[in-house]
Amino acid sequence: MQRIIEASGIATVTLSWMPDLTRRVGVPRLAGISYPLSRPLGRPHDPDGQRAVLRATLEVLEQATRPDHCVELPFVWPETAAQARNASKDVPPSPIAALLLKEPWLIPKLYSGHIPA
Amino acid sequence: MAIDSYKYVDFATRQIMKAWAARQEPGVIPFTPLAKPLRECTVALLSTAGIARNDDVPFDQEGERRDPWWGDPTFRRIPLGTTEKDIRIYHLHIDPKFGETDLDVVLPMRRLAELASQGVVGQPARMHYSTMGYILEPTELVEKTAPAIAASMRDESVDAVVLVPV
Repeated sequence: MQRIIEASGIATVTLSWMPDLTRRVGVPRLAGISYPLSRPLGRPHDPDGQRAVLRATLEVLEQATRPDHCVELPFVWPETAAQARNASKDVPPSPIAALLLKEPWLIPKLYSGHIPA
Repeated sequence: MAIDSYKYVDFATRQIMKAWAARQEPGVIPFTPLAKPLRECTVALLSTAGIARNDDVPFDQEGERRDPWWGDPTFRRIPLGTTEKDIRIYHLHIDPKFGETDLDVVLPMRRLAELASQGVVGQPARMHYSTMGYILEPTELVEKTAPAIAASMRDESVDAVVLVPV
């Protein structure tokens, strides 16, 4: 999606918690952040923290001069990975996650691109 | 990059991410230089958190429950000034409570407006956008959704976009 918007004449930057994977797609500008999924800007009700992340992302947008411009943002999530995951332990697995746990022989279908009709 | 993309994700999500990454083919990357200084730019936000206003159609979760390989490829418009009270997050692969408690965690419109009043950006766009990020088969996203979003942004003379995948 980012490439389509960029190709239409609008400068773009992605704030990504999975920068290696975003980079595989090949994007114009990328700001990587080691924050948990569901909370890309940071914690609720922390406007200063959120604003700092957004501002740093906009600086990446401003400083890039060529495509595939990737910067690792310096923000550190204040919990351990286990604590961060634990905050969401009541969320049920997604339908695909439940299916793959029940029928793990389907996992190769993810890789083959063969999406069952 | 030193960031561990898998640090916070569970086993199934990791499988989905790895498989998706293995199927990407980068090709030529487009690049549009900023046409004016950032402090004069109109900036729009695009989230993949599946945000829809309560007066709009929800993203289709029943469809995904019936067919776990499918994800809703449509998008929603989120006008500037929309808050967490006006929306729900329709995404079966994340924890919606954070964005539903404070919308800026996934779509930082208020933070963007603050940065505009500080002179960092020109102004926030009047319109922002959300898709739902679980899409294994991207055809409709690429052929319909993304071009429609881009056209809407161009109509509003948006200069720059921050994408916030969730």
